[in-house]
Amino acid sequence: MKKVSVVESVLDNLPVAVFAKDANDDFRFVLWNKKQEEITALQASKAIGKDDYALFSKESADYFRSVDKAVLTRGKLLRVPEEIIESEAGHDIHLRTVKIPVIEEETGRRLIVGISEDITESVKSHKELESLNKNLRDANEELQETQLQLIQAEKLESIGRLAAGIAHEVKNPLAMLLLGVDYLSQGIDPEDDNVDKILKQMREAVERADSIVGGLIDFSSQQSLTCEPVSLTNVVDEVLLLIKHELTRSNTKVEVDIPKNLPQVYLDLPKFEQILINLFINAIHAMSESKHPRLEIHARTEILDKVAKNEGARKYEIFRTGDKVVTLEISDNGSGIKSKDLHRVFDPFFTTKATGVGTGLGLSVSRKIVELHGGQLTVKNRSIGIGAVASIILPTRLDSGKVAEKPSIVSVPAESGKSAK
Amino acid sequence: MAHKILLIDDEAGFTELVKMNLEKNGEFEVEIQNDSTKARETALSFRPDLILLDIVMPGMDGGDVQAQFQSDPFLSKVPIIMLTALVDSSEVSDGAVAQSGSSIVLPKPVNFPLLLRVINEAIEAA
Repeated sequence: MKKVSVVESVLDNLPVAVFAKDANDDFRFVLWNKKQEEITALQASKAIGKDDYALFSKESADYFRSVDKAVLTRGKLLRVPEEIIESEAGHDIHLRTVKIPVIEEETGRRLIVGISEDITESVKSHKELESLNKNLRDANEELQETQLQLIQAEKLESIGRLAAGIAHEVKNPLAMLLLGVDYLSQGIDPEDDNVDKILKQMREAVERADSIVGGLIDFSSQQSLTCEPVSLTNVVDEVLLLIKHELTRSNTKVEVDIPKNLPQVYLDLPKFEQILINLFINAIHAMSESKHPRLEIHARTEILDKVAKNEGARKYEIFRTGDKVVTLEISDNGSGIKSKDLHRVFDPFFTTKATGVGTGLGLSVSRKIVELHGGQLTVKNRSIGIGAVASIILPTRLDSGKVAEKPSIVSVPAESGKSAK
Repeated sequence: MAHKILLIDDEAGFTELVKMNLEKNGEFEVEIQNDSTKARETALSFRPDLILLDIVMPGMDGGDVQAQFQSDPFLSKVPIIMLTALVDSSEVSDGAVAQSGSSIVLPKPVNFPLLLRVINEAIEAA
């Protein structure tokens, strides 16, 4: 091993370039370490004793000289965050440099010491990252727009399906009315027993059609959350009537088990019906492969004895131990929810349906509405048998849950929506 | 001689009214079957001259029932008139009658005079 000084050893192995120029000797190089050799592709033997003008282009040399002079004038360290030099090979090298004016102890020479980091790779990566970032941002924007379009399409599609179903359900009562009119317009015979029967049926037909259309109006109304005491049985029956067409089409058997003495709950009827429609239709879809699809709707009263911390109660405490609540469970016997999807079901836009079939907004909006009611919506697989069960727990106290001071409009994205370009 | 009509539709109120109207307007003996899964059984014992068949029904729908009847030597010869709330105005040409294969389809709400006419024509043709 050759005997060298520690400083020399360090200089030769530094991963940064170190050089020095003599300010009193036309700024000629007096120090040029290994890394500087690498970066510039110039050997120390070729550089020492020469100045910038001999080694670099005039443009570069002018620039280096101006920096050197500035360092001397300032009398202290100068940082050059990024400068570009041209390598022998022809491509640009980006350097981050620090220049320091030094008076050499031993000789009294005024030196300018330079320390340069090669940041070419870093700059390149940075540019690539920025470009990727921009691509990502653009893609994200596109995705958001597409999502909004999908929401609109899904809304229109579901409105379309709902409309078709309702049209079908309304046509039947209308058919009955017309037949009644046909019969009676031939003359009313006081001896005819049928007349009373027909009139009764016509009346019922009108009431049925009215209730279906009324349900539709409620569904589309834009009222703020205003609650009234309702009986769950009535709400469930109304919603089942609204989706009768879907139930028939899918051949779904419905089992409703709601005790007569179930306490009333305070609901914003149209908003709550929206939730039930969503949950019932989800169940029907989950059972699309089942031979005997069965939708079960159970309700019961409970006194909460153990209130667990739950995700849905992030913002505020909803229930306390000892609260009397009403639990509504909607179960299906479909294929259930995959365990990997369980914690994601409430994410907006999460869906297991094929592309183009539903956007997955339903559950996230439903949960929000239930929470505004001071309640809780959970979804899990059945403990016995296959299929999933959605549970809605509702308070029986009017003042349950620390909800917003004033009932507010549940905001659903894309009401008017950014439309397609 | 009264003609026998079998009416297969899940809407009990509707079928009652159709029956009342038919019986008031002609020599018809009307049998109602609200459960489509029992349609074949009822048809084979009642032996109708004509069948009125709803399309959207739970259990077996109208299409299934029709297919089922096709495979029976007696039933395949009975004329079928299909009734449906699903037909929209674009599918209905003049006379408010559409065709589905070899069956006639009438939209609901049913135009009763038209229904009568179609029934009589179908029975005569058979």
